[in-house]
Amino acid sequence: MEQSEPRIDYGIYEVFVQKSHGDFHIHVGSVAAPSPDLALQTARENFLRRDRAVNLWIVPRKHVYATPYDDPDFFARETDRKYREVGGYTENGRLWRMFKEKALHLEDIVRSLRDLEGNQKPTE
Amino acid sequence: MQVKHAEQAQTNPRYKAAVRDLLLQLADDELCIGHRDSEWLGLAPDIEEDVAFSSIAQDEVGHAAFYLNLLRDLDGEDPDAAAFFRKSRDRRNAVLAERLNGDWAETIVRRYFYDVFDEIRTEALRESSYVPLARGVAKIRREERYHLMHFQLWFTRLSAAGGEARERMNRAVEGLWPEVKGCFSLGGWERQLVASAVISLDSNEMERRWLNRMKPVFAQAGLQWPGPLPMVNQDGRCGAHSSHLEELLQTMGEVVRQDPAARW
Amino acid sequence: MGDASRFERFMERLHRGEKIEATDWMPDEYRQLLLKLIHMHAVSEIMGALPEKEWVPKAPTLKRKLAIMAKVQDEMGHGQLLLRVAEDLAAPLGKTREDLVTDVITGRVKFHNVFHMEAPTWADAGVIGWLVDGAAIINQAALLDTSYGPYARVLKRICAEESFHMQHGENIILALARGTEEQRAMLQDAVNRWWESLLFFFGPVEVTDAARRMIEYKIRTKTNEELRQQFFNKYVPRIRSLGLTIPDPELRYDEQEKRWIYTQPDWKKFGEIVRENKGPKSRERIALRRFAHMDQRWVRAALARYSEPEFVG
Repeated sequence: MEQSEPRIDYGIYEVFVQKSHGDFHIHVGSVAAPSPDLALQTARENFLRRDRAVNLWIVPRKHVYATPYDDPDFFARETDRKYREVGGYTENGRLWRMFKEKALHLEDIVRSLRDLEGNQKPTE
Repeated sequence: MQVKHAEQAQTNPRYKAAVRDLLLQLADDELCIGHRDSEWLGLAPDIEEDVAFSSIAQDEVGHAAFYLNLLRDLDGEDPDAAAFFRKSRDRRNAVLAERLNGDWAETIVRRYFYDVFDEIRTEALRESSYVPLARGVAKIRREERYHLMHFQLWFTRLSAAGGEARERMNRAVEGLWPEVKGCFSLGGWERQLVASAVISLDSNEMERRWLNRMKPVFAQAGLQWPGPLPMVNQDGRCGAHSSHLEELLQTMGEVVRQDPAARW
Repeated sequence: MGDASRFERFMERLHRGEKIEATDWMPDEYRQLLLKLIHMHAVSEIMGALPEKEWVPKAPTLKRKLAIMAKVQDEMGHGQLLLRVAEDLAAPLGKTREDLVTDVITGRVKFHNVFHMEAPTWADAGVIGWLVDGAAIINQAALLDTSYGPYARVLKRICAEESFHMQHGENIILALARGTEEQRAMLQDAVNRWWESLLFFFGPVEVTDAARRMIEYKIRTKTNEELRQQFFNKYVPRIRSLGLTIPDPELRYDEQEKRWIYTQPDWKKFGEIVRENKGPKSRERIALRRFAHMDQRWVRAALARYSEPEFVG
């Protein structure tokens, strides 16, 4: 009797949570569900019982294309790439000191812009 | 008229008595249905739904606790005592909410019927003259939105699936239909509640809106429309209940009754 | 590539501390050991919800009612996470969620001894949260470094939630420990009832072939006895600090051997309970799972049919 019944095939949906508008969607796991709308609803409780979020994606697993794990060379970065990193330019600090100036970093600019906003608020 | 806080309500005994009764209706509905929902823990038809359903059960018990806290502010009654020790004749929930779960179809039908009703009722409380209630209801409505979405999906999908599922859904509708009208009752204080704008709709209007909401959903789901809502045998809002409530209260109080004075 | 060289490469990856993923090639033995472990873990969470669930409708305050609902819900949630991992391991063997849950009912998968036992009082609900979860947390925390990536990831999430469970269980038993004579007696009874089951929970002292293979595959890194000793370290002093006794006159810490000496649980009895579902509550709880899964198959069939219109008959 059991065998003669057709198999029940729930789909597998990968679940992505966006915690805030400042964040991208992050993969957190998967649910088995009979349809995408139920997958969205059960994903909320299976993954967001405690955490806050602003958005939720579910993606049928069969629509996810992935690199193989067993080909780590796909991600190989062997030669020196300091030229494209902040750390490749540590000498700037020393060079600026020759001109009696300090090195300028992006963070300094962001901070001073934020301070500026903060200072303006009371005058609004 | 606006009654901004409990102290102000206490100056008007009739107003206070009416609000008290309504708070019990709200709390008892949510407590009973949340309790029944929690009986599904570990037993839902799939694991993901088990988890989702439990969140809804928790929301409902949480709402009951919220309403009982408003009651404490109003007349000093301890929320746990009110939840665990009140006799069934002092309970104000609709009989629909206390009934045994039955099968999954009956569970879904009851939940959906109740959630549509609760949506209409809380809508009618958004501008309540009792401001603490209006404020709380605004928050509660945000949580109820997911419940309604969830059960509307279940209700229509199980019905539309045909076969055994639709048969069970039709049976569940038939079984629950006689209890639906009991939800709309506002009990002995209806006139006072409506006249002092604690609630903006009377029981007839809530019923009318519920039927209007439900008819197209039945059509969409392919379910038979069972006709007008019959009068109920027991009006839970006046303290008349089925044996299911007595059994529920026995279970719920089993531990705390071992020593009501102890801290648990 | 031949299986031998594949195997060698696989073992090299393990020794380099790499994680294995579901889509990677893996030796059949590795898959089978993992599947057995994770399947049992998943099913134990789901069956483990049942003894505590008995106390959900009876929780003595509104706060306790909400908390125990949330706690049992988490157990089901852990079952969900673990089943998903097991399903992906079982997929190449042609098995799905339906089969993995059915295996509980047919007895093809076992669940932990503790979940075959009775929980007759509210104190049992507390002791399950406190000591059974305590033991489970030690077990699960020890698996965080497992070589199987998907398992490691869900364990991280599970352990984070277990930290709430620890507080929840402790809060219940602390209330009882500070309560009336009757409440304290109820708590002591529950500790007496659970002690032997707790010792068995960690598994046999000797390292079985399967356990040895799991350690070689870095699926687990600690032996049963190491974990049981951890449990003693953490919990014996706490149980005693509450003025409770432990029902084992032999229990003591041996300073020379640097380990706890204890009376062995009845290995034969508990072995039978787990293998043959012969515990006092085994049948009843399996019947509940049968109801949830088999008797409500119509629900899943109805939904699955809806989402695949081409199958509408």
